[in-house]
Amino acid sequence: MSTKIAGLAKKDGYKNVKVYLDGQPAWVKAGNMVYASKGNIAKGNIVLIDLRSIKKSEAGRIARSISIPYETLDDRLDDIPTKAPIVLYSDSIEEADEAAEDLRDEGYKKIALVAGNYAGWVKTGGKTVTGPVVTDVSWVRKLAKGEVGKEDFMKAVSGADTGAVILDVRTTDEASEGGFKNAIAVPLDQVGSRLADIPKDKKIYAHCTTGARADMAAQELNKNGYKAFFFVANISCTGNDCTVED
Amino acid sequence: MKRSMIKLIPFFIMASFLVTGCNHDTSSTVKAAKPAIEAKTQKSKGPVYKGKVVGKSNKAKSISIVVGKGKKAKTIMVKFDKNTKGVEHAAKGHASIIFYDMRDGQPWATVIKPKLAKLPKGVSEIKTADLKTLIDAKTDFVLIDARPGKRYAASHMPGAISIGTKAYKKKAASALPKDKDKLLIMYCGGPT
Repeated sequence: MSTKIAGLAKKDGYKNVKVYLDGQPAWVKAGNMVYASKGNIAKGNIVLIDLRSIKKSEAGRIARSISIPYETLDDRLDDIPTKAPIVLYSDSIEEADEAAEDLRDEGYKKIALVAGNYAGWVKTGGKTVTGPVVTDVSWVRKLAKGEVGKEDFMKAVSGADTGAVILDVRTTDEASEGGFKNAIAVPLDQVGSRLADIPKDKKIYAHCTTGARADMAAQELNKNGYKAFFFVANISCTGNDCTVED
Repeated sequence: MKRSMIKLIPFFIMASFLVTGCNHDTSSTVKAAKPAIEAKTQKSKGPVYKGKVVGKSNKAKSISIVVGKGKKAKTIMVKFDKNTKGVEHAAKGHASIIFYDMRDGQPWATVIKPKLAKLPKGVSEIKTADLKTLIDAKTDFVLIDARPGKRYAASHMPGAISIGTKAYKKKAASALPKDKDKLLIMYCGGPT
C-alpha cells in the first residue's frame, strides 16, 4: 500500500516523499491514460488491438494483435467484450488516446495502452509478427476464485450433476416471479440464519441476477464449512424458464 | 514490566504507520497504539467493524466486510436500511468503517465511513492535477505503483515502476534512486 511504502522510503532516508492517495482510479476518472506491462501484452488474457491500418499491421505488429483500424472501431464494438481487459496501440499518441476515451465512453472499464505505441514496443525488443491480420476477437473470461463456470452450472440446473445444488439468493419478491427448477431459494440476508435449509454434503452453486449477491452468499457458506461457488451471469426468469447471459 | 512497555512504544508508533494504507484493514496493532480514541468512538457510536468491503448488494441491502487479519480474518455480513448513513462509502474492494447495532441477532449498519489512509510523518499528499503537471513536464521523479504486481501488469500510470509492499525490502535498493533528495511518489488503488 502506498502509505506503507512511503513510510519505508522515508525511514530509508528519502527526504522528498509524496503519496498520491486518490490513486489510479482518480487518475483514470480524470481521463488520463494507463499502460499495460510488457509481460501482460505478450501473455496476458487480454484483447490486444492494433488501431493502425491493415497494411501497416500486415507489415509488422505485436504478436497476438487483432486488427481493428481506428476508423472501424465503432462498427466493431459488438465484437469486443465489455468485461475484457483491452490493450490498444497505434502509431499516433492522439489516436490511441482517442480510441481509449471512446471505449471508456462506451462503458469499457479496463483500457490500457502500450507505452510508446508500436514504436515503443519494437524499441524495447518486444515480439512482432507479419502477414495476414487476425480480425476475430477470441477472448474468454477466466473464472474468478470461487466462481462456477456456465457449463458446470447448467449441468446442475438440468439435473445431470446430482452432486451440486442450485441456490437462489435473490429476494423473495424476485424469486416469486420464477427461478430454476429444483433450486433452493434462500435470500442472501437469510443465508446465515437458514443453514439448515441448505445441504452440506453437496456442492452449492449460488446465483442471483448478476453474481454480486451470489458471491457474498458463497463466502458466507464457505465460512460455515460448505463447498459453495458463485455463478456470474445476467439471469432473468419467468416460471422455470430462465435466460442466462454472460 | 514498565521498562518493556516503554521499549514497545516506538514499535507501536512504527507499526501504526506500517499497517495504515489505502485499502488496508485495521489490525489490532493500530488499536493498541490508540486505545483512548478507539474507546471513545465506540462509546459514542456503538460497536464498529473496520476492514475491506468484499461485497455489497443494494437489492438484499447487505454488505460483506472482512475484519481481522491473517488466520483471524473473517467475513461478516452487515445489513443496512434507509436510515443507514454513508452507504455510498461501502464499495467492493475498498476499506470502510461500519458502525452497527445488533437487531434480532444480526448486525445493522448505522453509520458507514470511508477508512482514510494516514500519511506517515514528513510525507505529504499530491493531487491528480499536480501529478499530471509533473508527468506532462517530464519532471525527473520516481513514480511507484504500490499495488500487487498483477494489477500493475494489467495497467499502471505512465512511467510507474512496481514495488508492492512485500517486495520493498528486496527491490528498494536496486529500484530506488541513490540520490535521497530525489522526489518519490507512491500510489495505489485509492483510499475509499
